[in-house]
Amino acid sequence: MASSKASRLGEDRRTRMDKVNAELVVLTYGTIVAQLCKDFDSDYVEVNKQLDKMGYNIGMRLIEDYLAKSNTVRRCSSFRETAEMIAKVGFKIFLNITPAITNWTSDGKQFSLVFDENPFADFVELPDDGRAQDELWYSNIMCGVLRGALEMVQMQVEAHFVSDVLRGNDTTEMRISLIRYIDDELPPEDD
Amino acid sequence: MVVYSFYIFDRHTECIYSKTWLPTSSDPSSGSGPATATATTTTTNHNHYNPATALRPSTADDAKLIFGAVFSLRNMVRKLGGDDDAFVSYRTAHYKLHYYETASSLRLVMLTDTATLSMRNVLHQIYINLWVEYVVKNPLSPVEHKGGVGVRNELFELGLDQFIRGLI
Repeated sequence: MASSKASRLGEDRRTRMDKVNAELVVLTYGTIVAQLCKDFDSDYVEVNKQLDKMGYNIGMRLIEDYLAKSNTVRRCSSFRETAEMIAKVGFKIFLNITPAITNWTSDGKQFSLVFDENPFADFVELPDDGRAQDELWYSNIMCGVLRGALEMVQMQVEAHFVSDVLRGNDTTEMRISLIRYIDDELPPEDD
Repeated sequence: MVVYSFYIFDRHTECIYSKTWLPTSSDPSSGSGPATATATTTTTNHNHYNPATALRPSTADDAKLIFGAVFSLRNMVRKLGGDDDAFVSYRTAHYKLHYYETASSLRLVMLTDTATLSMRNVLHQIYINLWVEYVVKNPLSPVEHKGGVGVRNELFELGLDQFIRGLI
């Protein structure tokens, strides 16, 4: 029930937003990754790190837009609800995709998002240098976005890709783990 | 309706924006005749009560005190009413304080006269239409607004002033 409500919310908000051409996004993002690969001499570990960092900075802003657009009035009551909102509202609003939520651990602190489509990866082929296939996570910016966005709503998470169709895997899967809920910051003590 | 002042506090509890629609240098001895000196919102007559002297606005201390008060109230409200409960406003004999908090722990506070109805929606609109649009989406403004950096941009200031004036 809650899940279909989230889907409807996501669909509803998306239709109200200004949209950009998908190819523009694909090409812009591709250019960023290509430039990073060049700048770091195909040190893909470093490229992943940079993408994550860029995503983190984007996420910290994007969350405000998400809150404004989704008209969220209250916090999610559980991490499961958070996952629903990420997949069905967040991804729907900003990328018009709804990744599937699977592989929950029993403590409810880790789940996977499985992307059956990935708008960033259209037309993409990883470089054929024998390393990119094993080292580069092409869409790593998304991990950073989630990390940044969730940190702003007081959840510290860790996110990484575990498989990517670009590497020849069957699915594109991102693993997200809740590390802790961040407490309210207290005002500094007056002397 | 009269709006006296407006504050924004970030998630690090720092006051990153404050604006008052009253003369800032309020000297207690010259506490009469505010209407001519006041900048904008005091179009109504305050012959019985002069907020300029009573509120004595806009020192850094005020922001700290206000934050302390709303933060304690908010925590107390949540303790009694559950985590979903939200503190909306309080009223004194002289003013009414409105409070709005986003999920990203941005806190908006507005002081108005006592007769004003709930400003929750107004604060929500300020967040959506001014804060998100002009501060968050400004690509050159920093993500964290330490010391208020990036908040005092022209579009935001202008938008806020117009929005508040439009309410009256």
